[in-house]
Amino acid sequence: MGYALTKQQLNEYLKALGRQYLLVGPIREKAKGTFSDTDKIVYGVFEAFEDLVLEEKAFYSPKEFLMPIRETLFHFLDGQIVEPKIDTKPILIFARPCDLNGIRRLDTIFLKNGDIKDSYYERRRNLVKYVMIECTEGFDTCFCVSMGSGTYKDYEAAIRFDGNQTLLDVVDSTLVTEGLSQVIRKDFVPEYIKENKVKVVIPPIDKVNNSIFEHPIWKEYTRRCIACGRCNTSCITCSCFTMQDVEMSDDGLLGERRRVWASCHIKGYTDMAGGHGFRKQNGERMRFKTMHKINDYHKRFGENMCVGCGRCDDVCPEYISFSKCINKLSEIIKEESHE
Amino acid sequence: MSIDRKIVTKNAYRITKIRNKTALRVRVPGGHLEAKYFQIIQEVAEKFGDGTVHLTTRQGFECPGIDFDRIPEINKMIRPLIESLGLDVDYGDGGYPAAGTRNISACIGNRVCPYANDDTTRIANSLEKAVYPHDFHFKIAVTGCPNDCIKAHMQDFGIICLTEPQYESKRCITCEACVDNCKKKVTGALSVKDYNIERDIEKCIGCGECILKCPAGAWTRSEEKYYRMVIMGRTGKKNPRLAMPFIKWATEEEITQIIKNTYGFVERYIDTSLPKEHIGYIVDRMGYQVFKMKVCRKGGLYHARNFFTGRSTGCAH
Amino acid sequence: MNNPYMPRPYTLISTQKETEIDTTFVFEAKDRFIGGQFMQLSIPGVGEAPISISDFDEDSLTMTIRKVGRVTDRLFAMKPGETLHMRGPYGNGFKQEWFRDHDMVVIAGGTGLAPVKNTIDAFVSNPESIKSLQMIVGFKSPKDVLFKQTLNQWQEKVPMIITVDQGDDTWPNEVGLIPSHIKNLDLTNVANKTVIVVGPPMMMKFTTLELLRLGFAEENIWVSFERKMSCGIGKCGHCKIDETYVCLEGPVFNYTKAKTLLD
Repeated sequence: MGYALTKQQLNEYLKALGRQYLLVGPIREKAKGTFSDTDKIVYGVFEAFEDLVLEEKAFYSPKEFLMPIRETLFHFLDGQIVEPKIDTKPILIFARPCDLNGIRRLDTIFLKNGDIKDSYYERRRNLVKYVMIECTEGFDTCFCVSMGSGTYKDYEAAIRFDGNQTLLDVVDSTLVTEGLSQVIRKDFVPEYIKENKVKVVIPPIDKVNNSIFEHPIWKEYTRRCIACGRCNTSCITCSCFTMQDVEMSDDGLLGERRRVWASCHIKGYTDMAGGHGFRKQNGERMRFKTMHKINDYHKRFGENMCVGCGRCDDVCPEYISFSKCINKLSEIIKEESHE
Repeated sequence: MSIDRKIVTKNAYRITKIRNKTALRVRVPGGHLEAKYFQIIQEVAEKFGDGTVHLTTRQGFECPGIDFDRIPEINKMIRPLIESLGLDVDYGDGGYPAAGTRNISACIGNRVCPYANDDTTRIANSLEKAVYPHDFHFKIAVTGCPNDCIKAHMQDFGIICLTEPQYESKRCITCEACVDNCKKKVTGALSVKDYNIERDIEKCIGCGECILKCPAGAWTRSEEKYYRMVIMGRTGKKNPRLAMPFIKWATEEEITQIIKNTYGFVERYIDTSLPKEHIGYIVDRMGYQVFKMKVCRKGGLYHARNFFTGRSTGCAH
Repeated sequence: MNNPYMPRPYTLISTQKETEIDTTFVFEAKDRFIGGQFMQLSIPGVGEAPISISDFDEDSLTMTIRKVGRVTDRLFAMKPGETLHMRGPYGNGFKQEWFRDHDMVVIAGGTGLAPVKNTIDAFVSNPESIKSLQMIVGFKSPKDVLFKQTLNQWQEKVPMIITVDQGDDTWPNEVGLIPSHIKNLDLTNVANKTVIVVGPPMMMKFTTLELLRLGFAEENIWVSFERKMSCGIGKCGHCKIDETYVCLEGPVFNYTKAKTLLD
């Protein structure tokens, strides 16, 4: 069902949705940027159209609404193990196709990898619906087209913010509010981006073998990467976590177990009790991440993990470009397979 | 040739080693200048000076090789430079109204530098308006962070911009990047307890490095900006020393008020029998406690938090 | 919520000190286990730790554990009758059918003996299930030797080399690193012998290299991987190597697979 909304109608519509859903979209956090007197664009709760930031890419992805940075798994109360309750108000996430495709990757890991579903992820996932923000231009570092993730068809609604007129395609009937009956009907089929400034060539899955592990390209990243993990925390598809247990009373009867985002670039990721760890070199971590995003996830699940949102490029303090890395790797593999 | 040395010096022209030649000193508060003004400086240097320009240690420009009798023409020419200071009074074609209080210098600050906690140029400009013109020999500098690139510790008043890091545990992934960095590079104010980061407020110097290092946005900047003021640093032949801490976690109003009050203090206690008594020596002569009391009395500062004791300032008691 | 992270209580029946830092814990348990699987030991407020199952029967679960961290510290303070929490079992384990009627060699280093102990026991007590069995078991030093009594029992029935990296005056057995002893095994028809290798990363690496040098076939070598595990169910990502999740498809791998798994 398509609609053409004026600015005022849009805000009335958002207000009506807001009674039913927690509205989440890209918003500006004033003066919360890393550097002083800068803002940070993040996914957060908003109320009106004016809260949304569409001209800049968010630093972090919307994934924290599905897998919070820290999520309590259990409260320990005097011998009892209690699952915490969560807010059950449904969530409506306004996001572009790349991020929605990214969330599908999270679904795969948490719900389809192995026989056991992750119940914590599932209960949040079941609360979430998506309004796809039409994206036909992208940003400087995006390469979603190369990754095949510039389109997304499974949205509950799609929206085009276009000057004074907003076009809306509502698929999910619960998103048709009473107020919409006053709005002009107009068919709207969202358009998708056809070309990014950045293009990547993914090395053919079967051409990549372990010999690439020894290639000097990773030495370059050992020299350049500082293992800060921003590429992981900003990535819509990075889903690793680790457990933290805390005792909150001296007698040990009160406590908490939570899971917290973990990252293949950050120290300690592979360290086992007793001290042995793997991938001490930062280049090895870059290799591990790269392979996961464009090769081994594909081998396991039939599509690439990386959706080309380009946030890792945006946030790297060392100006390491993941798209460049992919292309370099492709070249190397092309040359090697010709030899 | 007859020259009123006092008048030309006050007008920002100096006596040079070459007889009958002077040099103009151009103020550039915060060391940041709109490029269009270069044209004026270039013209002064080429038309009246020896065609060279010296970059001064306090971030101004100095045009040497000028004949004293050209001063009126030059003052007319440099009127836009003086107007660019945005002072309340219009000085017309009279040139600089004072030169005692030196150019307020600043590091490049947060307009460019990722470490800076504030816009040092803006602060320098606003201080300039608060204290200039004045004949007392004060040296003030503003630096964007405790790295102190501008050498605030060599000034009568050194202002170091701070932020008070705000920690949001629910965003923390316990990567410890902040802790490791603070230990290695700063004061070791951070530690991990139960996977949370604890900040020792006594050790924290407000540099904001933890915010820069955090990959998850757990550390952010305080809404308020804060300043540490170090005072009575000086070079010079008699008893040079680094400035010592005077107040920390102060607001911009507080530091401005302290500097303004100090002008009053100097007015009252300066030894006029000397050709020029520098503020640092006056404080030494009067004692730190007197100084502190006097400069804090006006503007409700006496109860301001976070003053350092006299001992820690190294000033005489 | 059907919560896979919810640990269940297990009662500690007995403990047996093995070395200064290793102790065997026996818990009451009715679950079905496979040797080589692992449990997530789960102490509320302290943490979780992946621990290999060293033995089990219909009523009990045995794990030999080294004191190396917060979780195991807490465990070592426990007394019989007390309960602790675990979840699992996870992983594939050593499936007996892989080895039926094979000429078996088991090579275990240090605590690597624990995950394979149950499998060895099965071989020793059901000799008809396999063709033959010989073993190399190695430890750092005489004071690190695990399962002393069991080792003696096995030694009576099975050709077995027990070695330590560094011996002392009273040490009655072999000295030297495990790989140096492999050539002393009965290597007739080596290409058809099947071998299980479990131990620390370095020991596994050099042992498999030596096995291949001596003519063992890649497809006849089985190894068990030790990696950081956090969830045990293929979500947390820590144990992933290439497209393989050690917690799901491992920890036991055939060498043809294992050799492709570079960290």
